[in-house]
Amino acid sequence: SAGPGLRPRSGWSARRAPAAGRSTVMFSDLNAQKEGSSLLSCPPSEDQAPAIFERMSLAYTPCSERYKVGERSFSRQYAHIYAARLMQMRPLLSKRAQEKWGTDVCIRKLCDLQTGEQCCIVGTLFKRMELQPSILKEISEEHNLLPQPAPSKYISETDELILEDELQRIKLEGKIDKDKCVTGSVIAIYGAERSDGKFTVEEFCTADLPLQTERPTLTTDRFVLLASGLGLGSSHADSMLGLQLLVDMITGQLGDLSEQSGAATISRVLLAGNLLSPSTQDKDASTKAKYLTKKTQAGSVDAIRMLDELLLQLVASVPVDVMPGQYDPTNYTLPQQPLHRCMFPLSSVYPTLQLASNPYQADIDGVRFLGTSGQNVCDIQKYSSLDSHLDILEETLRLRHLAPTAPDTLGCYPFYLKDPFILEECPHVYFSGNAPTFESKLIKGADGQEVLLVTVPEFSSTQMACLVNLRTLQCEPVSFSAFSAGEDEESEMNISH
Amino acid sequence: MTTKRGLITDSFKVVKKARRGGKRERKPSPPPPQNECDGELLPEEQLQKLRQFDLDWRFGPCTGISRLQRWERARLHGLNPPEDIRELLQTNTRPEYNHSLWSEYPF
Repeated sequence: SAGPGLRPRSGWSARRAPAAGRSTVMFSDLNAQKEGSSLLSCPPSEDQAPAIFERMSLAYTPCSERYKVGERSFSRQYAHIYAARLMQMRPLLSKRAQEKWGTDVCIRKLCDLQTGEQCCIVGTLFKRMELQPSILKEISEEHNLLPQPAPSKYISETDELILEDELQRIKLEGKIDKDKCVTGSVIAIYGAERSDGKFTVEEFCTADLPLQTERPTLTTDRFVLLASGLGLGSSHADSMLGLQLLVDMITGQLGDLSEQSGAATISRVLLAGNLLSPSTQDKDASTKAKYLTKKTQAGSVDAIRMLDELLLQLVASVPVDVMPGQYDPTNYTLPQQPLHRCMFPLSSVYPTLQLASNPYQADIDGVRFLGTSGQNVCDIQKYSSLDSHLDILEETLRLRHLAPTAPDTLGCYPFYLKDPFILEECPHVYFSGNAPTFESKLIKGADGQEVLLVTVPEFSSTQMACLVNLRTLQCEPVSFSAFSAGEDEESEMNISH
Repeated sequence: MTTKRGLITDSFKVVKKARRGGKRERKPSPPPPQNECDGELLPEEQLQKLRQFDLDWRFGPCTGISRLQRWERARLHGLNPPEDIRELLQTNTRPEYNHSLWSEYPF
């Protein structure tokens, strides 16, 4: 895979925040103009060879087999996935409980519980929620009322927290914040059962980070660009300028020579879902009469064509991973299978186009990436008091489960053998897409794990993408909004005319 | 209505009962000779054992998957399912062996 020839092109100038005083190299530092802009210098003469920046190609191993669904049998009940989850998590949590409360801690099943005895129980949380939408409730309680607008959160004062093991369940009280917990999390609790049959929690623990393989030491800076929520096919096309700037920046069509050499260090692009806008999913076709919609074309057809053309520009220059999201034309239930190649007649001929699953897992130059298009995080946001996508992302890592609320409130394939959303290995970069804002944080685990958490902003609303430095595991946003406030510190690549 | 209502057996005499009893007597008689030759568990006992396996809560729910799938899952998660159950399941491939106790109930 030969690197692209990147030629200078005039017409753009870039304004950026000063990048002095940083010990580590960020993408914006690479772009800092060293000896004045080459844009205003005279063009190279004909006999002089144009500047060519070779793009670094990285070792890439997709590790998404666990998210492939082979046989599709929907006849099973979801009881299996909860049973498998508890079977897989019980040994891990028993170990954590012994680390936390001593090796002689009494770990009991609910059926052996003695009133008043201090003990530890491992089980799956269930939160009974008054406001949780239920289709059965809607049908049985039809009062001819207008449908209420969906609330942004379904938590309420009357929520009850319940712990279930294989056989029984028990109501929880005490030192556990029910608003922060979500259904489906497997935890270990410590406390005692009171005479009224409720369990008073004194402490609880989660499975916490799994073990991590060591990250190789890299000698040079190389970047992976993460973007999500391109939102193609929406009725307002205001995001198209930003999107084209993003593509031009990656392919080295933007800026002066130093910026183009910076672009050559972007070694991979990862698009984390919602490539299409929700408005392409028009539901008219199912409600309108057939003869009215006979000649109309699905809204997603044009959007996919546009995506194909966009991807063509990218894949000709850089390897691209494309994950599907909530609004993309693939299956709805997690794990979402890769988009079909036949939708991309132009770009799929390039070997650099990787159609990936959601959740996504791959080793890029030895750095393990794991992430989703954001459905898991958005769902937890609705069913808990947690608001920040970054906090929720960290919480799922601590629970060692990508999507605890699946299958309760999040669509999920009925697995029976094992729960593929349990993290067996700690990633180095853990991300979720379609977040309202860019946030990132480096966390350290008890066993020396280092994980970069990134919430990838939705591009169509924020005009932002982000770049992860594989050498230092640092992350910074790139903004393409032409008219944002000047003193915004984050808009380091703020392109102005 | 307060009129005296007769028993159904008043009009339909107990002929059927007698026949049923006769059938029952006949039914258990054919299997034993076959199994005595095998020198192993009777099929009925084998099935009883499999039903007991279905009802063992430690190995998770049994509906919707085959008994062998459930056995394999239990082994995968280190729950030590009984080895003789697998032997039974691998030597007998008939549906009453393979499918769980509840397989004929629609869920």
